[in-house]
Amino acid sequence: VSVLGIGHGTKLLTDLYNCHLTRVYTVGGLFGKATNDFSDTGQLVEKTTFDHITREKLERILAVIQGTNRKALLMYSNIDMKTQEAYELAVKGLIRPMGKSPPIITAIRCLQLTLPEFQLEIHCLHETQQYLRKVVHEIGLELKSSAVCTQVRRIRDGVFTLEDALLRTQWDLQNVQNAISGCQLKVKTEIERTL
Amino acid sequence: VFQYAGKAAKRKDRVFVWGFCYSGALGIPSFVKPDAGWKKPRRIQPTPYRLETAEKISSAACGYGFTLLSSTTTDITKVWGMGLNKDSQLGFQRSKRDRMKGYEYVLEPSPIPLPLEKPQQTRVLQVSCGRAHSLILTDSEGVFTMGNNSYGQCGRKIVEDEIYSESHLIHQLKEFDSRVVQVVCGQDHSLFRTKNGTVYACGWGADGQTGLGHYDITSVPTKLRGDIAGVNIIQVSSYGDCCLAVSDEGDVFGWGNSEYLQLACVTETTQVNVPRHLPFKIGKIKEAACGGTGNVVLTEEGNVFVWGYGILGKGPNLIETAVPEMIPPSLFGWSDFSPDTRVAHVRCGLSHFAALTNKGELFVWGKNLRGCLGTGRMEDHYFPWRVTVPGEVLDVACGVDHMVSMVKSF
Repeated sequence: VSVLGIGHGTKLLTDLYNCHLTRVYTVGGLFGKATNDFSDTGQLVEKTTFDHITREKLERILAVIQGTNRKALLMYSNIDMKTQEAYELAVKGLIRPMGKSPPIITAIRCLQLTLPEFQLEIHCLHETQQYLRKVVHEIGLELKSSAVCTQVRRIRDGVFTLEDALLRTQWDLQNVQNAISGCQLKVKTEIERTL
Repeated sequence: VFQYAGKAAKRKDRVFVWGFCYSGALGIPSFVKPDAGWKKPRRIQPTPYRLETAEKISSAACGYGFTLLSSTTTDITKVWGMGLNKDSQLGFQRSKRDRMKGYEYVLEPSPIPLPLEKPQQTRVLQVSCGRAHSLILTDSEGVFTMGNNSYGQCGRKIVEDEIYSESHLIHQLKEFDSRVVQVVCGQDHSLFRTKNGTVYACGWGADGQTGLGHYDITSVPTKLRGDIAGVNIIQVSSYGDCCLAVSDEGDVFGWGNSEYLQLACVTETTQVNVPRHLPFKIGKIKEAACGGTGNVVLTEEGNVFVWGYGILGKGPNLIETAVPEMIPPSLFGWSDFSPDTRVAHVRCGLSHFAALTNKGELFVWGKNLRGCLGTGRMEDHYFPWRVTVPGEVLDVACGVDHMVSMVKSF
């Protein structure tokens, strides 16, 4: 999912960026190899065994990652922890860093694990592709093995999901107009809610 | 090809400690007396620090400035203690310099010699620590008590002007109606729960915490009556001057100090000396924990309810309440992505609370006295905050200004 703005829409793009909404990726990885740029097209650094990895171990590591990122989320949101509104926002889960911050993962889940391949669904803020590949590499290290990233696919960007996206074969005027009118309402409500 | 971990790699058991170091309760001597020139004495350890132990520790308890660790081994050494020993709450620790004198502060986990009849068969099941006394529960030889006995909390006759420091005396309690399965220490009193579901108490009773119907000192463990007579109690808890007991049907009973509205839903008096049933309509209760001023219970569905006085965990506006208030599960890591994350255990220190989830995460909240919360920050936390521990937390023991946790590595 890649968001494009046409004409007046470019101003809306900056507003959407300031909303700091989460993006969802499906990340595919492979156990057993480690490369210098964390993806499978880089230079091989080492190979390791991976037959001791089970789904249970992976889920435990993912729970830890989620927990530490949640803590980072609360710390970078720059809200004083001693206030009552901080407590209420934390309960609803609406605490979110409203300025510049390092990449934070809000949720991570394992979709499938068939050794040596695995697939994860990651919800994150302010991330870069290199950060996602690094996360895969670190998961491999935590499981006492190594991993490289084979696939990164964005399936949601704020309010735009796969269903709103147009395939390359559908890039013609009619479809684009329908898509714009469909998403207009969603974008407006989201901007009004946050700003 | 590198192999970092084989197929049969086992997960190791570790102990992590954090909090106030100068009392020696953390068990790491270099925090108090540095052994290398560059090290400085550390007053507070704000994040979990690994403690090396000789055996796998199955039970730990934190008292007021001291800690006891025990394992279920059949070796001669089963219990280790560290911290304050001014009232011999860690037994007699023979000083290396003078064979007749004992140590007043024990800086590293030292074995506690127990007068067992069958030292290579008996196993230590559980330990518990109060302000200046400790209880050790074994499977076949009853309960051993040591430490201060000025209120009879060790279960033996009070001797006037007894000097408790450097005392070799360890008392053994065997006369109960059935086997004791849980021992709990309050500040200056002791509670014993037997297999039949009865509760015995001894020690200081000025706040009614012995629950025996009077406000005097008891030096012999006596059976409690009141609303718990005939009820099968499955868990007892106490740390300050208030006590809670949970029955097998999910009811909770309380007695003791009620100055902070802990028992205000049944009575207006500030001291309750007979166990009273607390009629809460929050569901079947699985576990309860008492702190100095606040109490927390865990229901069968996995919800956490707090009441009392102090930082209860619902933001800075909730300072005191007599009716239990629920802490939303989203603060413990529950979300649409992990709907099966629930709280498995709750524990209480003097002014802070701890909760363990089934995923092995530890959440703490309350007053951060001398770094006891372990979050790395020195401020108080008004709602549950996750502690970063490198491993899956199995159990945690809370003290006044330090905490000990038993963790399994990944």
